[in-house]
Amino acid sequence: MTDPLSGIPSGLRYFFGREARVRRAIEETALAVFEGWSYEEITTPTIDYYSLFEQGMGNEASNSLRFMDADGKLLAVRPDVTSSVARAAVTLLKRRERPLRLWYVAPVFRQHAKSQAEFRRELTQIGCELFGVGGDPAEIEMLLIACEIFDRLGLRNDFIITLNDVEIFNGVAENLELDSAQRAAMRELIDSRNATDLERLLSQFAAVDESRRFAELTQLSGKGEVFDAARQVITNERSRAALDRLELVWETMVSLNLMDRFEVDLGDVSTLDYYTGLNFKIYLKGAGVRIGSGGRYDHLTAKLGAAEPAIGFVIDLDALTDVMIARDGKGNGQAEATTCRVTSNDSLATLQEAIAARARGERVLISTPETKR
Amino acid sequence: MTQLTIAIAKGRLQSDALDLLKSIGINVSDAGESSRRLSIEDQTGEYRFLFVKPGDVAVYVEHGVADCGIVGRDVLLETNADVLQPLDLPIGRCRMVVAALADAPPNGHGMLKVATKYPGIATRHFGSRGQPVEIIQLSGSVELAPVLGLADCIVDLVETGRTLRENGLAVVEDIFSSTARLIVNRASYQLKAKSMIKLIDKVGSTVREGARADA
Repeated sequence: MTDPLSGIPSGLRYFFGREARVRRAIEETALAVFEGWSYEEITTPTIDYYSLFEQGMGNEASNSLRFMDADGKLLAVRPDVTSSVARAAVTLLKRRERPLRLWYVAPVFRQHAKSQAEFRRELTQIGCELFGVGGDPAEIEMLLIACEIFDRLGLRNDFIITLNDVEIFNGVAENLELDSAQRAAMRELIDSRNATDLERLLSQFAAVDESRRFAELTQLSGKGEVFDAARQVITNERSRAALDRLELVWETMVSLNLMDRFEVDLGDVSTLDYYTGLNFKIYLKGAGVRIGSGGRYDHLTAKLGAAEPAIGFVIDLDALTDVMIARDGKGNGQAEATTCRVTSNDSLATLQEAIAARARGERVLISTPETKR
Repeated sequence: MTQLTIAIAKGRLQSDALDLLKSIGINVSDAGESSRRLSIEDQTGEYRFLFVKPGDVAVYVEHGVADCGIVGRDVLLETNADVLQPLDLPIGRCRMVVAALADAPPNGHGMLKVATKYPGIATRHFGSRGQPVEIIQLSGSVELAPVLGLADCIVDLVETGRTLRENGLAVVEDIFSSTARLIVNRASYQLKAKSMIKLIDKVGSTVREGARADA
């Protein structure tokens, strides 16, 4: 049996030394960007009702750590922050002027590793949420903030944000009259770009040429040319409207000369439970898994009792730290401050000297005389 | 130029996979292929190859250490790897089957003992029809288990069926047919999009031409 004092549960870890410093520096960069866009910090409870997360995350909430409250209600250690922020927005902050802009940095927890590569069970999310603004202005604000964080971290040429709108898929699924199991199967095959099995699946309820065309959905990823290609495949009204909305966002990024940071990726349908419109993922060179994600989730505020537009994104601080450490090579992530070494056998004099040095704003290092160790 | 790292399953798939790549002009020198080095570059330096155990291909790709890989569908279904699989390849064709002793009396009820190298696939297969099973996980020579009475049946990959026949086993049921897949890391698919799409298109069109020639 593992000794509980020397072992540590899987997927959990410590941060110290250089990693802790780099991590803190990233946090400070991000918060300066959020503050710069007039976002306000919010801290949410670490533990909350499981049903809240179920509303916010759908099936994914079942991967949370749960236990019973004294009154028999089911509690969870927060598996995400967004659900709780959204609840605050529609309750505590209901009377606040809109738009409401909030940011946070907080650890979230999982029961099981998400996959081989995403093995962490505690990870820290840095994120922001914007309530009360619909349509592309809010979406573009989110994307610009995300870009600025990576730019300021010196990663300008190393990240890509992929854009999609979940309504494109929803329209196709509705049009094919899929039941929920078929819909889930189709979603999974598009998400893994598995054109072969998708075509096989669709041929059960669509004509051969139509299934073949939809199988192309899995390959619709790239720059602006994707929109025309998609219109060749997708004809239903619901999907078309979503395509038009997404193209509007894309066009703005082109006008702002930011299109090299973005890709349109209609195959990204992994977060349908969560989002209701635009959804995006952030990929960074050096990280094998996505480093951030976000999107519009208007349905959640409605479920919580006060419908209003909502959008947000999170960045995985731990994964980002790994990349920054790997890139930084041998640097220690912090300029060495001048240190005033204080040492003496007279302990009172030592302390007085140290206090004086601190008052001058110097960094102090008290060396304990060898004999006392 | 962006170099792509391709993980290839050692063993039965390796030479077929390299032949397929050769047909689209990606050549590994014979010296490189016959050496014991586990990581070699092609002649242009555009691609780097890793030769790893089949089950590990998905691991390398999932972590992004390899950008893409060639591995059997059986491995993907067993490990539930979170990777993209844009192409079905016409190599490594085989079937995942349930097999039992040819003269075994049918076990219509109660607990079924299943010996297998694929506990995930076996559990899902029998679980989906409500059949309670006891999974006995082995790492090879699975055919022995029913012969010696360790299990009622096996779940295993069959290419020609010869090993089954020689041990007195017969296929009871097909679970799925498997071919090799080109798998791609999610981040590499976006971050190295140009090189990746070039590779997928080239392999894809060769595969489609081959399929037309067969038809």
